Amino acid sequence: MARSADFFSFLGLPRKLNLDMADLEQRYRALSRQFHPDYFYNAPAAERRASLEQSSYLNDAYRTLRDPIRRLEYLLTLEEGAAERGEGAPAKRDRGAGAPGVNKVPPALLEEVFALNEELDEVREMRAGGAPADQLKGRLERARLPIDAKRADHEAELQELSTRWDAALDRGAPDEERRAILQSLRERFLERNYIANLLAGIERELSL
Amino acid sequence: MSKVVGIDLGTTNSLVAYVKDGVPIVIRDKSGDGLVPSVVSVAENGAVHVGREAQRRLLIDAQRTAYSVKRFMGKGREDVQNEAEHFPFGVSGEAGGVVRIGLGDREFTPPEISAFILRELKRRAEEHFAEHREVDNEVDRAVITVPAYFNDAQRTATRDAGRIAGLEVLRIINEPTAASLAYGLDKRHTGIIAVYDLGGGTFDISILRVEDGVFQVLSTNGDTHLGGDDIDVLLMDRVLSDVASGSSRTSEAVQEIRKAVIQAKVDLSERDETTLNGKRLTRAEFEAIIKPIVDRTLEPCRQALADAGLQPSQIDEVVLVGGSTRIPLVRRKVEELFGKTPHSELNPDEVVALGAAVQADILITGNRDMLLLDVTPLSLGIETMGGVMSKIILRNSTIPATGSEMFTTAVDNQTAVDIHVLQGERELVADNRSLARFKLRGIPPMPAGLPRVQVQFQIDANGILSVTAREERTDVEQTIEVKPSYGLTDEEVERMLVDSFEHAEADFAARLLIEARNEAESVMAATEKSLRSPDFSEIDKTDLAPGERQKIESVLAGLKMVLNSNDRETIQKWTHALNDVTQHLAEVMMNRSVHAALSGKNVNEM
Repeated sequence: MARSADFFSFLGLPRKLNLDMADLEQRYRALSRQFHPDYFYNAPAAERRASLEQSSYLNDAYRTLRDPIRRLEYLLTLEEGAAERGEGAPAKRDRGAGAPGVNKVPPALLEEVFALNEELDEVREMRAGGAPADQLKGRLERARLPIDAKRADHEAELQELSTRWDAALDRGAPDEERRAILQSLRERFLERNYIANLLAGIERELSL
Repeated sequence: MSKVVGIDLGTTNSLVAYVKDGVPIVIRDKSGDGLVPSVVSVAENGAVHVGREAQRRLLIDAQRTAYSVKRFMGKGREDVQNEAEHFPFGVSGEAGGVVRIGLGDREFTPPEISAFILRELKRRAEEHFAEHREVDNEVDRAVITVPAYFNDAQRTATRDAGRIAGLEVLRIINEPTAASLAYGLDKRHTGIIAVYDLGGGTFDISILRVEDGVFQVLSTNGDTHLGGDDIDVLLMDRVLSDVASGSSRTSEAVQEIRKAVIQAKVDLSERDETTLNGKRLTRAEFEAIIKPIVDRTLEPCRQALADAGLQPSQIDEVVLVGGSTRIPLVRRKVEELFGKTPHSELNPDEVVALGAAVQADILITGNRDMLLLDVTPLSLGIETMGGVMSKIILRNSTIPATGSEMFTTAVDNQTAVDIHVLQGERELVADNRSLARFKLRGIPPMPAGLPRVQVQFQIDANGILSVTAREERTDVEQTIEVKPSYGLTDEEVERMLVDSFEHAEADFAARLLIEARNEAESVMAATEKSLRSPDFSEIDKTDLAPGERQKIESVLAGLKMVLNSNDRETIQKWTHALNDVTQHLAEVMMNRSVHAALSGKNVNEM
């Protein structure tokens, strides 16, 4: 059954971070032609159910792997097991807030976060004091510059690490080396999410 | 093997099509008309009229006639409060319950009204197959289309309508996707297509990638309350503000105005000016009035492009669907947005039904040449603490799709969890569509936060959701009865199906009687024409047997006597008798006209 496989192997792909998109699309279409419920309309109930399950799983796999960030998140989950994601006390959680590390400031970002929070506090005070919108906007735009720069750095680092991961996979590098790359990838990934949240916070302030 | 068809159940018009020898064909009536107006009228004597006849009755018996019922599908009473006043028929229903439509002394749910239309289409198809001497002409299975932006309740209501009409609904598919299938069929093109579908009551935009015969929807957006009807209402407001209010404004008078408004709208697609209510209306004025409506379609287009991660320039082809895309302003705006001339080679009224027929054929034959991969238009999720919606399946996810989320209890020893299923894009529960509520019971008493309740969503290929929930620590899976917030229960659908059979019998008898009378009248007319012919006295002398004329005259008189009775069999008996006694006369007349034609005499002189 589909559940025993993972998204990569289900699509016949190695666990790489740089995928040939045209190849992924082509595999997706071929497997859709194999499993889609349209072709099992007259089949026995068990086959119909299997078709529904397989094609749902295929769609989930394709949706995850075609997006670089979701692909990375999935790979991290897959390589580390479920430990990072679903562990801890079962609580009614909504996504985002429950995602790992979002509430804890990554050490590499302490400086920027500290500066930004000060800036945001001041902007809120100014707003409360009736400062003109233009002035607030100018400050917020300036405040986001270092964050934007950090994000660009991270994208480049993630790309570099992804390429190293793929190469390590190709030459069958020892587990230790692969774990080290994964660890770096995870840190950059969490920082990236944290930066995305910071930028969203600035956007929210701007839209007020 | 019984037949399968594709049905476009539209706000304004409905159509039925099927695939013959690999080619989809719209089934038409004798006059070549493929459209069945989506209008249902219940006469005082209980007879149900559908289509053109019902549309005529809108002008004489408006309060017993329902139109644009698609707008009410899957809706609650509260949802339609604002627009109910625009309709001549009664709109009611219990608070929190499904809408009810009052026609005379009978009340119907929107799926029941839609079922009348579906039954008419089914009948039309069966007649067509009978005439073409198909081996088995029963139509009991169909693919029915819905706007891509229809939510779960609206899709379920459409499926219920099919069941009430006695159809097995093979699949619910999205209208723009169906249209792309019809277009892709003969052109075999590859690339990115945008389908802009502005119909009578709904607007959809879908962006698809077509490759290797796979029609993959990348994103969809729309407004299930935006269409030609809204244009009509704007124009009607303009006319009504000129007409003195008061006693002259009967429902029928308003419907006359509505008819005139629709005619003016159609005229202005072809001409630069027309008259409405005796006043000149130019296309420029018309465009100024409807611009806000057309502009409302543009934001969903931009959102769909953004969701597909595409720029307008990356769209290879734009396809127009729906009657409202005949309006020049609509075409101009679409062309401006996408920067290319839209396609409209196929009749925008028919293309959806053709695509539905293709999909029906795929399902039945299992032919893998083509495949539709559609998406769910709206995100699905459940209510979490603080009245916030937690999304479990995101919009534009390819269907079938699954998603799951873990929940727990809030207080110690809680044995049941309320699960509120929602659809929509907004943060807060109150801003989204409530689809269903259910209680997961039987959780063993545990401290708060300890149970692990996994809620699993499954969207099938129809875009319809089912939900299961399981408590993981005890592995107790609960069978959940999802009570639709604005839908019908299975028992209600069953009862309506039975009701419809009972009424269908009465409706069927009424129809047979009308058909028998029509048949009798045409035979009588032909006979009378022969008897009045200038040559008749000569024919009587030379060709007819003694007493033949008297016999014809007496049977004719007999048929006249029974014509207005309600006894169908007697009418048919006399009709057959008249046919028999006039057969010889008809042959003689035919021979003489052939002879006259051969001898150079004008047939018209006969």
